[in-house]
Amino acid sequence: MAKNNTRIRIIVAVAVIALITIGFATNGGIGTISAFGWSDISILCPLGALGTMLASKLFVPRAVIALVIVIVLIILLGRAFCAWACPVPLLQRIRGLFGKPAKPDAEAADDENLETAGADTTASGIAALSAAEAASLKGGCGSCAEKRGKLDSRHFILGGSLLSAAIFGFPVFCLVCPIGLTFAFILLVMRLFGSGDVTWSLVIIPLILIVELLVFRKWCSKLCPLAAFMSLFGFLNRTFRPQIDDSKCLVSAKGTSCTICAKVCPEGIDPRRPEESPVGMNECTKCRECVVNCPTQALKMPLLPKAKLPAGNDNDKQEEQAA
Amino acid sequence: MDSEKLQDTRTEATEAIEAAEAEKTAAAGASQPTAEGSEVASAEGGLLDRRSLMLGAGGAVVMLGLGGLQFVGSEPIIRPPGGQDEDRLVSACIRCEKCYEICPRNVIAPTHIEAGILNMRTPTLDFDDDYCDWCTEENGGDPLCAKVCPTTALALPAGADVLNTIIGKAVIKEDWCLAYRLIGCRFCYDACPYEAMTLDENNRPHVLTDICNGCGACESVCVSLQNGSISSGATARAIVVHPLDEAGQIILPSYFTGEGA
Repeated sequence: MAKNNTRIRIIVAVAVIALITIGFATNGGIGTISAFGWSDISILCPLGALGTMLASKLFVPRAVIALVIVIVLIILLGRAFCAWACPVPLLQRIRGLFGKPAKPDAEAADDENLETAGADTTASGIAALSAAEAASLKGGCGSCAEKRGKLDSRHFILGGSLLSAAIFGFPVFCLVCPIGLTFAFILLVMRLFGSGDVTWSLVIIPLILIVELLVFRKWCSKLCPLAAFMSLFGFLNRTFRPQIDDSKCLVSAKGTSCTICAKVCPEGIDPRRPEESPVGMNECTKCRECVVNCPTQALKMPLLPKAKLPAGNDNDKQEEQAA
Repeated sequence: MDSEKLQDTRTEATEAIEAAEAEKTAAAGASQPTAEGSEVASAEGGLLDRRSLMLGAGGAVVMLGLGGLQFVGSEPIIRPPGGQDEDRLVSACIRCEKCYEICPRNVIAPTHIEAGILNMRTPTLDFDDDYCDWCTEENGGDPLCAKVCPTTALALPAGADVLNTIIGKAVIKEDWCLAYRLIGCRFCYDACPYEAMTLDENNRPHVLTDICNGCGACESVCVSLQNGSISSGATARAIVVHPLDEAGQIILPSYFTGEGA
């Protein structure tokens, strides 16, 4: 099940690339991820929209409309783009093909990151468990105090790229954006074979991508300004949030210290104890790894947060099943 | 439920706890001061630990440095309809590739890095196989590239039409041109949709520069480079559309002035 989830995400990301490549081949007019849409209606990359207006000092109605649409999408879907449509995680899987043999669920993405994050939460979790248990049992995750995510390095890069665009007068981040470069490379390869268009760009673009994605391995969590933008508005997201059924969760129902959901989360969120996670729930990419890896299927990602059921009934059911 | 699975989970959790404890002890023994230091920093900053601060500041500096690339020279290039205001195009283009994709004749191409880092991936025109007819056949004379551009990097000023929007000017390199060897080739003359070319008494083509709008029809049919053995040393076609500078003067590439010309 867990493997399937990863596989589905790979398939979706590949399908997005394939669709855009077909668009290139057929002059379809769907654009790339940077300006996805039909003909003159595009969902413009929010960074591009802001960058272009700051750089040209012009009010561009299309860009403003696109920004509003993107923010609404972020409020509805959080950072789902990161886990499902972005080509970057897909490209980073290339790293898994070399080097150390892939771990089961190679997802074990950013291993050390998880380990340290996991260590923190577990250690403090153990100590606090008995004390916090009562509280978390009563409230569950739905009513936990909303953790305000911290600003991190990505937000600096977001600010720096917009400032640079305003000072130097062109959308600076677009030059090195790995999403844009991915599709630029696909287009150049098509032109190389289609019309014999030979250029050093064909060497430079993959080099930039390798430096960004394979050398800096934590592009998404430490550097990507697009992720930073999405995390800023992710605070407003309430839909598709991981929600724990306390009657099934091993921690609340059995009093064990299971931390599997926290360990598999590529963003380092602990759905059981979001307030103690290194990052807030606004970073959730809706990748569903916690849902599919939960040993008791206690996690769900409902469209809307569900009101808590009276705990008694469910506990009984759970015990019946266990017996 | 599944008791085996539960067992696994418990073991895993216990292992994690042990590992965490071991790590904590190690950290406590080995690097007490540093750990404490960063702890303090994050408490004081309230928002950031030292490492992300450094990384973020470094990244922001890189972004500002990339901005400085605008002072690195870039070569003048021809732009699709609506891209004639070079400053606007450079400041607004987010390199989204939408114009290349939509162009029904595939004449819009991403600029190569050879024309400058800043120009890389911005739109230019490649007249190797076809020319720009302002989408007359495909969209009734309303250029699709300017229509779909989401950031108005390509935007036609009011009153712009196919005749008064000058993409560039065609120039013949006479010593590469077959007609100037009196071979009688007149493909470019026949291709010109705007009667911007004439033939002289020896049937050699000339560009009427005042009329030429740089559509590229002549360049797209020129056979000189395909017959490289005839025009030895040629690195481009004998008739090519070149960009204009701000004063409206044609900017010619080095092969017009170099020796062997």
